[in-house]
Amino acid sequence: MTNFLIKRAVTSALSLFILVVLVFFLIRLTGDPASLFLPLDASEEAKEKFRDLNGLNDPILHQFFQYFSDLIRLDFGISLRRAEPAIDSVLRGFKWTLQLAAITMSLVASLAIIIGSIAAFRVGGFFDRIVTFFSLIGASAPDFWIAIVAIVVFSVGLGWLPTSGTGTVFHWVLPISVLFIRPFGLILQVVRGSMLNVLSAGYIKTARAKGVKDTAIVFVHGLRNAMLPVITVIGDQAAGILNGAVIVETIFGFPGVGKLMIDSILQRDFAVVLASIIITAVAIFVMNILIDIIYAILDPRIRY
Amino acid sequence: MKYSNYFKSVLVAILISLPLSVKANDVTIVLSEELDIVDPCEASRSNIGRVIAQNVSETITELVPGKGLQPRLAESWEDQGNGTWRFNLRKGVLFSDGSAFDAEDVAHSLKRIKSDQLSCEIGIKYFGGIEISTNIIDAHTIDITANPAQPILPLLMSVVTAMRSTEPMDKYVNSPVGTGPYTFDQYLRGMQINLSANTNYWGGSSAVKSAKYIFRSDSSVRAAMVSTGEADIATNIALQDATNAGTDFSYPNSETLYLRVDNEVAPTNDVRIRRALNHAVDREAFIGTILANGTIPATGMTPPSTIGYNHDLRPFSFDPKKAKELIAQAKADGVPVEKEIRLIGRTNNFANVQETMEALQAMLQDVGFNVKLEMYEVAEWLDLYSKPYAADRGPIIVEAMHDNANGDPVFSMFFKYATGGAQSGRDDLKLDKMIADATAATGAKREAMWKNTMAYIHDEAVIDILLFHMVGFSRVNERLDFIPTIKTNSELQLSQISFK
Repeated sequence: MTNFLIKRAVTSALSLFILVVLVFFLIRLTGDPASLFLPLDASEEAKEKFRDLNGLNDPILHQFFQYFSDLIRLDFGISLRRAEPAIDSVLRGFKWTLQLAAITMSLVASLAIIIGSIAAFRVGGFFDRIVTFFSLIGASAPDFWIAIVAIVVFSVGLGWLPTSGTGTVFHWVLPISVLFIRPFGLILQVVRGSMLNVLSAGYIKTARAKGVKDTAIVFVHGLRNAMLPVITVIGDQAAGILNGAVIVETIFGFPGVGKLMIDSILQRDFAVVLASIIITAVAIFVMNILIDIIYAILDPRIRY
Repeated sequence: MKYSNYFKSVLVAILISLPLSVKANDVTIVLSEELDIVDPCEASRSNIGRVIAQNVSETITELVPGKGLQPRLAESWEDQGNGTWRFNLRKGVLFSDGSAFDAEDVAHSLKRIKSDQLSCEIGIKYFGGIEISTNIIDAHTIDITANPAQPILPLLMSVVTAMRSTEPMDKYVNSPVGTGPYTFDQYLRGMQINLSANTNYWGGSSAVKSAKYIFRSDSSVRAAMVSTGEADIATNIALQDATNAGTDFSYPNSETLYLRVDNEVAPTNDVRIRRALNHAVDREAFIGTILANGTIPATGMTPPSTIGYNHDLRPFSFDPKKAKELIAQAKADGVPVEKEIRLIGRTNNFANVQETMEALQAMLQDVGFNVKLEMYEVAEWLDLYSKPYAADRGPIIVEAMHDNANGDPVFSMFFKYATGGAQSGRDDLKLDKMIADATAATGAKREAMWKNTMAYIHDEAVIDILLFHMVGFSRVNERLDFIPTIKTNSELQLSQISFK
């Protein structure tokens, strides 16, 4: 396992390095930060001063090596727009995104696994049909539409919940509910499909013949073997949220890393863009390692 | 733990987390974008100005809609000649930290907005190319000299925010200290800014005792927050969200929408073609449909409230027949009228920009122009809108919105029309002289010169396609007595808000 983790760390670090190099050079082809930061009427002299002040007039390779030598010392640079260390902006946003992702995916995983398993056990029944119908709607409904409708109904219409913000537990209900719907629908379908395969296996029939209780068949014998593809999809969905739940962050006013990243790209705030990418990539790398470990725990045949 | 105890604990936890009720003298203002920096030297940026300008940091003079230039930190001013103006500062003014405001602070503030170590928008936008020197006569009298001389220096001082002479020249401040009626208490980045009444304020107390600014980028959410009572004022509401006549105010927002036409490349270098372009646009068709009621067809680059705005000018009539005749005349003289013209729009520039651009394209095509619409994100759009222009650019028309809430055309005319202007589409020595002369003139002469310049631009040279003076919408909670004005686009003075 240790060797596997080391290999995984090295390959992930290499991928991250290539990603950062690509982003570093490509984003510099997309426009001049001086034109975006300074007023339209700024003279060319003022733009030159801005570029000098922020090192944008240095040769591109010099900027690149300077960036990486700073990065080794965990110096991610200064945000052009916010005049503060880029890493401060990113970690502040990432904290919110991580909380959103953790709470949402915990709810999604636990509910989708339980409901998907029951639906598979009674395949074709009323419960299965209802669950399949609503999970397909959930998996295909657009986030922004659900978010706006939720605000109109639950905040403006009924007055039950605040429209947006982060102040109290009530502020979290709508964003988490909106984020919940799509991965819940998707994962529930994966759980159901995977359980259907497992429940038709010979050892399950044997267990039934031996008179093992239904709950034990589903949640002890069946679920463990059905979980491998489910874990993969959960990881994929969680990575999506960690990369930034941009729509939910934008509509509900959550100051997460997704919105920060989009704003920084539009403003050509290079240091923040790169810091966001590095932090989210590291988080996703750590999550993938955890998923590999869970694979090994669930299926002892998997050896690294 | 017994179930009853468990439920009690949960109930208490929920009650603790309930939002605190709004206090009678507090206001919550929801803005469309977060403030990246809060330094008063950036207060000319609209999102920063709405929080900082005249609330936390005051300017030396103040431009008041309908009243013109008024005293603020300077009580009076007089022209000393040779580009020097003497400002007599208000006595007894304190910064919110208790330190006294004096001429030293004004001199430092002027020096700081021009600092090489910062990129202060006020310095770059309003004092670019102008050397400023100061001479402190006494603690409350200062001579300010501009080189070249600026007849409107007192007006320029209406954008200069006063800062303490101890503020650094090489670093933006994160917690500004000003002389304004409110103190900057806290900035929870990404979440909120809190201001509270400044007990040291020279101008007395205001009805609003504290203010919270929050940020929501979605217009419908901002509007909903006022409807639910979570906020008191929501700025920049989109047309489709301004659905409540009782709470939604429209006001001229000082933005002018126009199409910048390249006057140096065929076929748009021919004045008949530019006239035809103008006659092809049915301006009235936009108003009340994809643009808000109250939008005004434009005949000048600046809002009608600007001095020197020529109210005698009339928008070009919608006359497709005349447009076709002009194109035919130009064609007969060898002008390549079939050449493809790129119509450049900026995505997300204003509500319904895509629909507006598509309608404009259709109108121009209807009279025979070969127009191709291209929409660009702001960075790419800037490359096409601002100089240096590509040598092989071909005929190009660029949609842009220009903001001038400063009361004088000087803040617009050079950049948009002079040969050296960063967004000018024309090289015209006659116009250069008209702009230079009007810039140097004062009083009634200045006003008349700007009127003539605007007439030349619109009627004689037909330099661009002036479209509309735009309106903005704000939703205001019914408990407030506050009506947004043209200044609301750049500042939102809490001291002007009262409660019903």
